[in-house]
Amino acid sequence: MSKKALSKTTYQIPIGPIHPALKEPVQFEFTIDGERIVDVDVSLGHVHRSIEWTGMHRNPIQVLYLAERICGICSYCHPMSFALAVERVAGIEVPERADYLRVIQGELERICSHVLWAGVAAHEIGFDSVLFFTWQIREEALDLTEYLTGNRVTKAITMIGGVRRDITPDMVPRVKKSLDFLKANFEKLRKIYLDDKTFKMRTQGCGVLTKENALKLCACGPTTRASGVKKDVRLDQPYFAFDNLDFDYVTPDVLTGEVNGDVYDRIIVRLLEVKQSIELIEQCLERMPEGPIVSEPKIPKLLATLKKVNGEGIGRMEAPRGEVIHYVKLTGQEFPYCWKVRAPTYNNILPWIPMLLGEQIADIPIVAASTDPCMSCTNRVAIVKDNNRSYLDKETLHKLSVEKTRRLMQ
Amino acid sequence: MKFSMLPQVFAQMFKKPWTNKFPAKYQPSSTTKYLQDVQAGKAKINPTVETPPGFRGKIQYDREKCIGCKLCINVCPCEAIEFKPEEKKVKFYLARCCFCSQCNDVCPVKCISMSNEFLLADADKYSKDLIVE
Amino acid sequence: MSEGARLTPEEIIKSFKDIFKTDIKDDRIETHKAGSKKTQFTHIWMCIDRSAFKDAVKHLMKLEKYPHLAVVSGYDMGETINLVYHFSIYFSERGKELSLNITVELPKSEPEIETITDLIPGALITEQEKQEMLGIKVKGIPKDKRAFVSDDFPKGMYPWRKDETGPGKMVRNLHEVKE
Repeated sequence: MSKKALSKTTYQIPIGPIHPALKEPVQFEFTIDGERIVDVDVSLGHVHRSIEWTGMHRNPIQVLYLAERICGICSYCHPMSFALAVERVAGIEVPERADYLRVIQGELERICSHVLWAGVAAHEIGFDSVLFFTWQIREEALDLTEYLTGNRVTKAITMIGGVRRDITPDMVPRVKKSLDFLKANFEKLRKIYLDDKTFKMRTQGCGVLTKENALKLCACGPTTRASGVKKDVRLDQPYFAFDNLDFDYVTPDVLTGEVNGDVYDRIIVRLLEVKQSIELIEQCLERMPEGPIVSEPKIPKLLATLKKVNGEGIGRMEAPRGEVIHYVKLTGQEFPYCWKVRAPTYNNILPWIPMLLGEQIADIPIVAASTDPCMSCTNRVAIVKDNNRSYLDKETLHKLSVEKTRRLMQ
Repeated sequence: MKFSMLPQVFAQMFKKPWTNKFPAKYQPSSTTKYLQDVQAGKAKINPTVETPPGFRGKIQYDREKCIGCKLCINVCPCEAIEFKPEEKKVKFYLARCCFCSQCNDVCPVKCISMSNEFLLADADKYSKDLIVE
Repeated sequence: MSEGARLTPEEIIKSFKDIFKTDIKDDRIETHKAGSKKTQFTHIWMCIDRSAFKDAVKHLMKLEKYPHLAVVSGYDMGETINLVYHFSIYFSERGKELSLNITVELPKSEPEIETITDLIPGALITEQEKQEMLGIKVKGIPKDKRAFVSDDFPKGMYPWRKDETGPGKMVRNLHEVKE
């Protein structure tokens, strides 16, 4: 904090929790010297929903749907990680066709999420027409999701031991038509984001996260891959059918040959991952074998099996934003004894502090958005009553953290 | 300069807009009454977007087939189903339903199915259209 | 990135037991299969005494320079509060990562543990969350403030506990059907 000869002092600006520059409710407190940021303090907890407490009072099938509503974008990864954890505790074997189907749905979600993020990033910089163009492309991916699962966002396709819906051979031509559309438009997106001079000017050299910081602060997902760290749960500890597929870590030097760790690198990593997802879906459609799609189709029998299981297990998955981990402890009762969820944005918040030091105030939105924060995943307790956020300071947390909880079972 | 976007913007001026039209230009005060007016021929409606097969819409319940086993109540994540012990049948409160179709999967006699109706907004949680029995 | 040779799961447990002897109990190795090629990966579970915990983390950092701490889970077992630290090491190479889960038991009469933020700075938020949700005290934490619970939540109430300090009285059932 330098004090110049003309007695300039530092002053503090709070931004948030509700502010037009931020898409998510988080509160920042910046200490500013002129236009440069000198110190950052982040505080969370503005949309806390007590989901973990609620989950300890519901049986595992009901927890699957509760987990799906933790976040709208990662609405596939949370129930899947929970199912992985429960399958590992109970020793349930998933049939092979279900593994490939799970990969297809997961990669489709990754495409939707990264394309949405690309639109948001363009909006933060000021290019609204790019936002609309990108979301137009996303509509095609969402229509495909609706065709495969029945709904655009809350997919409800997970079941402990497999998936709920199959992709029959007469559905495959429709899937291939959508994939061709996405591939054709990917080249247009790549040209807009990576070759445009304004994008480069605005994002290169901005919001740098060094490799050492990324390792020490345990960052995960595209945020850490853009800084050169090769961390990807799909490759490190393969789950579903990923060890049969051909792909590799996506780091910026695949495209440009050097790693800077700035916002431009994060754009590169996310766009390349969209291309990788399209290729993975095509590989799965070719290699999928015939067979059942769920290991235990009769649900009362499944619930009875889970009631007798004793043990603990973890389930890790690569969500579009990073690593999701669920920890489940079952003790032979109807409800899980302990359920812990950790969403990827949790770990990607601390890297904001080294990224924002030394930047200008005008860069705060794009730097904060470049890590793709998802506050509903992070603070899993929100006010869902109505959209009037002023309840945050008036009501006590009595109403905030246990809103809409369940009647205690006998 | 948005050189890379200019061709797209230009081309879009001559194409059909992508947005789907809403059913009615201005919002009616009660959706269900508006739909009745349309059926009677008194109001016009823009046709809705096609939904794919397998879409999870409003629940349809075949009362005769139901055996009162209560399996759907056990798995519903929202507690939207109530059991009526004297008749051994169930009642669905759609204001709480999350349309996951888990009750559909678990029913042993297949008396529950999902239609493709999705225009269900109403101002009263317990109105007749939002209770299925 | 790891320095030196990678150890097998049995060698890892043996290296811990050689140094800490009786402070380690209940260790087990679980192998799980992935995909149709049936690549195996292992989860190691260990239970360590809390006095030896920080030295155990230092020993872990010799095996892997920057271990990845995913999260700390905690639950209330009646007499004790158990914390489970989920680490993972040996990433960056296909199929080689190991998950190491270390359980530490804290008695309810004295629920204190030392911080590890001086070794792994990324552990800050998860330690703050355990303080407010379970009522434990982390000694030496750099920023002692509430992470997720609001500041006007009552001080002695811990949402994840199953005893009298749990939030039982604060639960409101808004969904009961009013006929």
